Amino acid sequence: MNDRNRALKPFVPQPDDDLIVCRCEEITKGEIRRAVHDGMFTLTEIRRYLRTGMGLCQGQTCTKLVKSIVARELGVRPNELGPATGRAPMRPIAMRTLAQDKEETK
Amino acid sequence: MNAEVIIVGGGIIGCAAAYNLAKNGVSVLVLEGSEHIGNGGSTRNGGGVRQSGRDPRELPLIMYAIQHIWPHLSDMLDTNVEYYQEGNLRLGSTPKHQKILEGLTERAAACGLDVRMISGDAARRINPYLSDAVTCASWCPTDGHANPLMATMGYYKMARRLGAHFISGEKVVELRKIKGAVRQVITDSGNVYEGDKVILAAGYESRFLASTVGIDVPMQPVLLETLVTEAVAPMFWQMLGTADADFYGHQTEHGSFVFGLNSGLEPYAKPGRPVSSSIAASAACRGIMHYFPSLADIKVVRTWAGWMDSCADHVPVISNVEEVPGLILACGFTGHGFGIAPAVGLVLSQLAMGQETAVDLSSLRYDRFTK
Amino acid sequence: MKRYDMIVVGAGPAGLSAAIEAAKHGLQVVVYDENARPGGQLFKQIHKFFGSKEHKAKIRGFHIGEELLAEAAALGVTVVLNAIVIGIFPEKEVTVKVEDRVEHIKGDTILIATGASENMVTFPGWTLPGVIGAGAAQTMMNLHGTMPGKRVLMLGSGNVGLVVSFQLMQAGCEVVALADAAPRVGGYGVHAAKVARCGVPFYLSHTIVSAEGTDCVTGVTIGQVDQNWQIIPGTEKHFDVDTICLAVGLSPMSKLCDMAGCEMEDNPAKAGFVPKVNEYGETSVSGIYAAGDVSGIEEASSAMIEGRIAGIAAAAKLGYLSEEACQKEIAIQEAALDGLRQGMFAPGMRGKQITETEEGVAISQNLLQHGFVAEEEIVRFPGVTHQKGVHPVIECTQNIPCNPCQDACPKHCIRIGSNITALPSIDAEKQCTGCGMCVASCSGQAIFLVDEDCGDGTAEITLPYEFLPLPQTGEKGVALGRNGKPVCEAEIVKVRSAKAFDHTNLLTMKVAKEFAMQARFFQKGESV
Repeated sequence: MNDRNRALKPFVPQPDDDLIVCRCEEITKGEIRRAVHDGMFTLTEIRRYLRTGMGLCQGQTCTKLVKSIVARELGVRPNELGPATGRAPMRPIAMRTLAQDKEETK
Repeated sequence: MNAEVIIVGGGIIGCAAAYNLAKNGVSVLVLEGSEHIGNGGSTRNGGGVRQSGRDPRELPLIMYAIQHIWPHLSDMLDTNVEYYQEGNLRLGSTPKHQKILEGLTERAAACGLDVRMISGDAARRINPYLSDAVTCASWCPTDGHANPLMATMGYYKMARRLGAHFISGEKVVELRKIKGAVRQVITDSGNVYEGDKVILAAGYESRFLASTVGIDVPMQPVLLETLVTEAVAPMFWQMLGTADADFYGHQTEHGSFVFGLNSGLEPYAKPGRPVSSSIAASAACRGIMHYFPSLADIKVVRTWAGWMDSCADHVPVISNVEEVPGLILACGFTGHGFGIAPAVGLVLSQLAMGQETAVDLSSLRYDRFTK
Repeated sequence: MKRYDMIVVGAGPAGLSAAIEAAKHGLQVVVYDENARPGGQLFKQIHKFFGSKEHKAKIRGFHIGEELLAEAAALGVTVVLNAIVIGIFPEKEVTVKVEDRVEHIKGDTILIATGASENMVTFPGWTLPGVIGAGAAQTMMNLHGTMPGKRVLMLGSGNVGLVVSFQLMQAGCEVVALADAAPRVGGYGVHAAKVARCGVPFYLSHTIVSAEGTDCVTGVTIGQVDQNWQIIPGTEKHFDVDTICLAVGLSPMSKLCDMAGCEMEDNPAKAGFVPKVNEYGETSVSGIYAAGDVSGIEEASSAMIEGRIAGIAAAAKLGYLSEEACQKEIAIQEAALDGLRQGMFAPGMRGKQITETEEGVAISQNLLQHGFVAEEEIVRFPGVTHQKGVHPVIECTQNIPCNPCQDACPKHCIRIGSNITALPSIDAEKQCTGCGMCVASCSGQAIFLVDEDCGDGTAEITLPYEFLPLPQTGEKGVALGRNGKPVCEAEIVKVRSAKAFDHTNLLTMKVAKEFAMQARFFQKGESV
């Protein structure tokens, strides 16, 4: 049970808020912190709202970083935040290639 | 915990209703069963904001949303919902397609919608990336698309800012009448919440919950699948569909393409966690490349699936339930709830406040199946 | 649809080992790997492995990879390279990208052995070209023969940071410093010591303040951190570097497990998001197994055993092996795994501060804080003794599961006993012949042969040496201490290379006898 009205510490700007955390989508630490204060309390919601981890690397680089920022903002341990879902394709794949999945197209 | 209105379901319908109620100073509590706001079809759909191809019973809602809400939604929600009103092209490449499109066009035009059949060449003048395979299209210039994730989270953000209370991970298992009216909402953790009105907007789950107060809405869960590509430079802004409905989609403001898929096996998906099939994305890529050969080298980065609540007659139930006072139903959206959501949120708030609704809802009543 | 008894995703140590065990019992196995070369991280690992014989100790990682590949090939395992498994779907269907198409295949069992990806830390400038993962540096050097840069700062003192620092120097890079925000060195002391004696300064309780440069890294500033991990103003130190290597841990690459519907957990003890597995590595989805780093970060030796266990269990599941035989075989593997999971660095010891060894010897604090054992500390360890004539001096000061030195000595001078993590001690009754087998056998490069008094006022020290070009007999230079600082003049009197040494060369240098217990490395060039 996650009460979205629970009190967070007020949003205080930090000197490194302009640090890029998700490189693929160029999302900064400040944007992530701001999103938490806008009510995005789970990694999935942050992804949906900011696109973190939704670029070419699908979060391979930034998931842990984003998680630790969100956890700190919420005052919880990172592993309490729950997962971000992994989905196919495991690696980006061109439409041209993905389209070739029939035996006879070999 | 009490509130004037309890909304069961934190999807875009629930969030939009909460926003409209909170804006009017009504105390609202939204209970979301999953861990995440907007976890169902709200954030899994293809983002179409279109009138063409709609059932006439739904048209008033979408036309109202397009005329009165979508153009201002980004400002209203302090969130860029990436709304583009650049038209909808529904493509065909065979005589059979032409027939399907003509039928759709005739029905929509009869309802007063500006939609017309155009030639392949005319379609290519609108969208120069179309292949020569396109021989005909229906064209609705006032259709468009938006970002479902931003719209859903935007409604949530603004509703919360206006004082709506959201609790996630709180799965409702029962509605309970007290002295003849729905009043209590009971969750699987044993919590009991009380409200004067209860809006049931929980997707397919609504069927079970409505049954706890003796109401049935005939619907079933059907899987839908979607893919998103890497971002590329802007190419075109129209919403796309095909006569065969083998894919639909658009390029987003971000640069990625979002395409809804169709493998034909969706109605037979196993219950439980929505799982992408192994063939749908490949099949859609073939369809997309048939109409848009220049997208062939763009990379797909993610696919996903979601359940829609497919209603027996393919339009939603948005209705007071007079025989169960206090209960308001908003379910059975059948995969096209996103575009109309801003209007639905508004009329739900009006129903809850006992006001006249902005759009006539008489053809979307709950009891239409038994009459 | 094409169907195999077992589909293995990832041709690293876990995947290949599982494939071998499964094929041995008659399963038809296919292994997919997205890389152009098989072996996973093994082919980057040019250092000798720890452990005992059953763990392939003292064999270099890439040789282990070659052995596994040959064994798999001999058993008829199909290994498909440049093959990206893009999804796992219900009914154990796998889609894999091979060349320019996608194939659908089914497995009666699937082993997910996709390994791990490198963690990153953020600081101003972390996105500049030149900031790379230590694993990436290793790939560049050891797979592609490319130097990542000329001057490197390493962040992270775990085994990856230490091993890669050493390899960077072997490749010809200068490692200007090794920093870690933690107050103590995280990896094996022997790995730290071999880096420190080459002259690399260790900055514990330090982290990166910023990377400098506009188009690429041109410098880095580090600073000391307080207990809250905040930089203490005034402690900043600047280095001109073109490369910053990050060795700040690994995360299981478990996305395929999640996709396959396996029940997952976010487990800090396993370094991240991992599938829940039973003792055979089987996930909550019957017939889908996970082994190696994907189910919890450890190292290659344990990954190989986990893979073997999963391979055996899959064979039993599919009826190729009786339950009884399966239990017997798994018991052997579990014993081997237990052997590896002993000592100060065992998974269960994470986060615990250890003050003394199993033998009751106080741990070298200098080693933990500066990367080398201080002179006054080294004498208390059982491998360090004074004897007449040539004798081994074993500067092994932590309980790690490793024992090749014991078997290497033909004269049985070195004792570890049956407890694989015990510190080696010297049997003074036995006579050392100076053959050097122990020096070459030590994966930690912690064994020296010392003749403390050659009779002419000099002493001779034989040390392991893995740099090129090799010094020549008669060459003069400087002896460096454990701290990498010059201690005295030195002259090379013997250079030994032998097949049995497996590319560890033995340098014997002559120094003034008072420096016999200080001089531990040789640097070419000008005198002190």
